[in-house]
Amino acid sequence: MPAASTPHAPPAPPAAVRRANLARAGLVALILLLAVLTLVTLDLPPLERIVRGLRNNAVPLLRGFIRPNWHVAPLALSSMAETFFMAVIGTTIGGVLAFPLSFLAAGNLLGGTRYAVPGKTILVAIRTFPEILLAIIFVAATGPGPTAGIMAMGIHSIGFLGKIFADVIEGIDPGPNEAIRATGGGSLQVFLWSVVPQVLPEFASNLLYRFEINLRAATVLGLVGAGGIGLPLIQRLQFRRWSEVSMLLLVIVAFVIVVDAISGRIRRRLV
Amino acid sequence: MIEFRDLEVTYPNGVKALKGIDLTIPKGQFVVIVGLSGAGKSTLIRAVNHLVPPSKGEVRIDGRSVSKATGRDLRRIRSKIGMIFQTFNLVKRSSVLRNVLAGRLGHTSAIRGLLGLFTKRDLALAHDSLRRVGIPEKAWQRADALSGGQQQRVGIARALAQQPEVMLADEPVASLDPPTSHAVMSDLKRISREDGITTLVNLHFIDMAREYADRIVGMRDGVIVFDGTPDEATDQAFEDIYGRPIDVEKDLRGAA
Amino acid sequence: MRPDPAALPSTVPERPRGQRMVASSTLAVFLVLFFVSTWQTGFSLSDLWIGTGDFFRFFGRLVPDLSYLPEVWAPILETLQIAYLGTLFGTSLALPLLFLASANTSTDRVTLAVARTVLTVLRSIPDLLYAALLAPILAIGPLPGVVALSLFSMAVLAKLGSETVEAVDPGPMEALRASGAGRNRVIVYAVVPQVAATMTSFVLYIFEINVRASVIIGLVGAGGIGEQLLARLNFFAYGDVSMIIVVIFVLVLAIDALSVWARSRLI
Repeated sequence: MPAASTPHAPPAPPAAVRRANLARAGLVALILLLAVLTLVTLDLPPLERIVRGLRNNAVPLLRGFIRPNWHVAPLALSSMAETFFMAVIGTTIGGVLAFPLSFLAAGNLLGGTRYAVPGKTILVAIRTFPEILLAIIFVAATGPGPTAGIMAMGIHSIGFLGKIFADVIEGIDPGPNEAIRATGGGSLQVFLWSVVPQVLPEFASNLLYRFEINLRAATVLGLVGAGGIGLPLIQRLQFRRWSEVSMLLLVIVAFVIVVDAISGRIRRRLV
Repeated sequence: MIEFRDLEVTYPNGVKALKGIDLTIPKGQFVVIVGLSGAGKSTLIRAVNHLVPPSKGEVRIDGRSVSKATGRDLRRIRSKIGMIFQTFNLVKRSSVLRNVLAGRLGHTSAIRGLLGLFTKRDLALAHDSLRRVGIPEKAWQRADALSGGQQQRVGIARALAQQPEVMLADEPVASLDPPTSHAVMSDLKRISREDGITTLVNLHFIDMAREYADRIVGMRDGVIVFDGTPDEATDQAFEDIYGRPIDVEKDLRGAA
Repeated sequence: MRPDPAALPSTVPERPRGQRMVASSTLAVFLVLFFVSTWQTGFSLSDLWIGTGDFFRFFGRLVPDLSYLPEVWAPILETLQIAYLGTLFGTSLALPLLFLASANTSTDRVTLAVARTVLTVLRSIPDLLYAALLAPILAIGPLPGVVALSLFSMAVLAKLGSETVEAVDPGPMEALRASGAGRNRVIVYAVVPQVAATMTSFVLYIFEINVRASVIIGLVGAGGIGEQLLARLNFFAYGDVSMIIVVIFVLVLAIDALSVWARSRLI
């Protein structure tokens, strides 16, 4: 039989622990408080409108979704193909232009982290600008169509890829650099034979990852008129032609899943 | 009392870890199981709390079958069996106290357990367990801030907090240096004696087996090849268990 | 007798040349795809040049109209609120789902497969598309935005979370299972402490994404500053439009910086 039949009273936790517990409880309370405040002040429609909207739309929606309209399949496939091509061009432009820019944002190549600050700032500025806003501006400036979408994706990708490429460059092993200098190589040789081979796999991997994201983005850019499957999609959405929407969505999801899978497999081999 | 009845365990990859084990262990006995790696020691111990399911035969504790128990019954049986591991298996980022309290989870209700609302009695038991293993002041430190020996003590405290009737120890000192190993083993023996807990310990080292065991069980290739008191466990007997001569110079402490 | 070193299995990591082959061929394939795409869409590099020119010319017209600033605050607040609720609900929904979608914490193989499939499908739909889908159903206003962001956040967080959970040290889980704890308690005591910091960092990342997203879901009628932007754009009130754009830019920058700072404090 266990001997510890009447244990002593448990000691109290030390002050630091009690403070930490209190802080954590306070944080949880704050989050909940903010949630309540937000729900109350947000301009949500009254419940009956929501229920009515659901009732009027949910049944036709579900019915339409279960039976995708195969007549729009050719349109779906061709516009998804256009979306795919848009993403390819946008990503490639982004990658090609980001490549040189990233070297201007990598501290170890410029001789010190402070020289990289202007480069990094430009990249951050590009990246922060929402892509779809860029698309809207391009649509207003150059007219609707895939070109606007491609430009928007290209520029946004420069910001994204530029930063990642710069990080990769900054993370390389300086050893091979020294080795090449030790054999008498100049900066160009160091660049070609040490930096580039080391960063190539990660560059390729990130390019593919960006492509995955751009494919999704491209499906959406059409919503503002920048080409791709977004335009036919929003048209049918506005007319509530649910079975056609369902077909388009099916094509989108299928494409994205396949591209993700292939890209994922290649990326695993790279890193 | 633990009974192994014609226990056989074959792993999915075809390896026959246990080939027919019959063993009875009376209540309160401190048993040390020795043998080479792969002899089946780990499998034998894990069959007691059904972490490893038997392919044939069963294990019974106080007459109730562990091998056939499922769901809540199994959890209830397990709550009475404490286990300590070679790699301690503590939650590194949690405090020592929280680790020990986790041992009470088998005894607390689901809601209390999920919300972390342990009773005063649970807390008292946890602190008491820490006191019995000699590290009461470490309660609120992060588990990974402790030394190896202290971490294993926390593991013992966690098992103790369950108020177990059986204790299983799978190579509890293999990651510790010799003086710490002896300290942990003597703690284990003392607690087992004080509380009358039936204890099964896997060990590599002969000297420790001889020093602490009430009974030594030697295994080789999935069968028991020795079962007797430490006095009966001569060097010759150990050679049979390990299947090769013991060099006094190169004691198995190095070869394990 | 010492073993012959030459006969030992190699401990040298796989030669990087294999990787470089894959990398180079990937880039080559991309280049080929690029040319195919330009041929198919009729895009040419001169378009790039012209487009950039048009863009900067257009940009010149976009002088922010500071007098419009006060009208921006209320929609911005609504935008932030939508992002906040989307993150909150998305996280709450993601938590049970991610444990069901992780091999080491799921209940059975069927549930695991179903959970993973659901996640894969939900993740392939971009957040804006969710908003566009829900807007006609749930009425104009912030509600479709909140629901859309919740769904998207849930999917992304559950995927990230399940990857983290599957990489967890299984030892403590075995120990707690051996002591008789049920599945949920094992998760709370053995898994959650190991992943809590990383998960919080993910949640902050999702919040960042959601702020960006909620800025633009207004474009499809789901509330927030996006609606305002669209309205002003349709009126060709470019001064107001660019004011809004400036505010959005500053907001996203601020949230990004905040998120990066908070995440660095966690690790």
